[in-house]
Amino acid sequence: MKTVGSLEKLRGFMMVEILIVISIIVVSVLAALAVAQKSIYLSRQSLHQSQAAFLLEEGAEAVRIARDNAWVNVSSLNLSTDYYLSFSGGTWTLSTSPSGIDIFTRKIIFSSAYRDANEDLISSGALDSQTRLATIDVSWLEGGQTFSKTIQFYLADIFS
Amino acid sequence: MENKIRKIKGGYTLVEMLFYIALFSVLALAIITSLISMTKAFRVTTAQADLVQSSAVMERISREIRQAYEIISISANDLKLNAKDESDNNKTVEFLLFGSNLQLIENNVFTGDLNSSNIQITALSFTEITTPAGKAVKASLSVKSVRDATGRIENFYNTVVLRGDY
Repeated sequence: MKTVGSLEKLRGFMMVEILIVISIIVVSVLAALAVAQKSIYLSRQSLHQSQAAFLLEEGAEAVRIARDNAWVNVSSLNLSTDYYLSFSGGTWTLSTSPSGIDIFTRKIIFSSAYRDANEDLISSGALDSQTRLATIDVSWLEGGQTFSKTIQFYLADIFS
Repeated sequence: MENKIRKIKGGYTLVEMLFYIALFSVLALAIITSLISMTKAFRVTTAQADLVQSSAVMERISREIRQAYEIISISANDLKLNAKDESDNNKTVEFLLFGSNLQLIENNVFTGDLNSSNIQITALSFTEITTPAGKAVKASLSVKSVRDATGRIENFYNTVVLRGDY
């Protein structure tokens, strides 16, 4: 009767062992799957980051081109208003009508620039009407989440 | 007696067997689908890495335009610039779309393709911008990876002012 009892036990034990082994395998495969999915997401995001970096660079150059064409192109714009770039007539122009580039949206906001007694740019002081602070923002939607990249620079009326 | 023999042989009941077979097949299915989607994921990541790498092409174009001081000739698929090299000698730099490769030609000598062999340039466009203060070039580049089964095309855009004559 002793042998019967131990065989019964052995059978149950093997089944539990197999179940544990299989569940370990399943869990590790699922973990690897999660890593693979995350890697797709991140690589897609890194591509979008580099595309957005070029769009930011282009935005900064385009605003400078608008300034080079005539300072009035910049000085006549309203402050704290979203502007969008469009390429027409062989040059870059700014307008308030929204436009997107592929999945990206590029906005430009101008604000006033101030200088201290030494003519250095500061965040508050004497208003300099010949200078503007430009903020360019490139944003895109990815996996239900909005990402954005921003640059800020001063733009001065140096050609007139 | 019969009952005792069955116990010694350690047989399973039909219901037990059915339950285990069902359980193992569900687990096997989960593992197989995971492995398939993982292989797919790695293929997508490889193709994606090619596309990310191709941003270096746009970076090179931007840098050469920025350093140049004059546009010799410009068309949608061909841009030739006058620039200075490290020792301040004049040099010419040309970007030419040849088939699906972007050729870099320095001083009228073919230097090499800017894109790696896994990247195809599907479209290239150069546009000249003239302002009272100087010149600029607007460039757009479309690339795809030969390792991408879906053949997805990604675009890069940039505009660069020629700093050589600014």
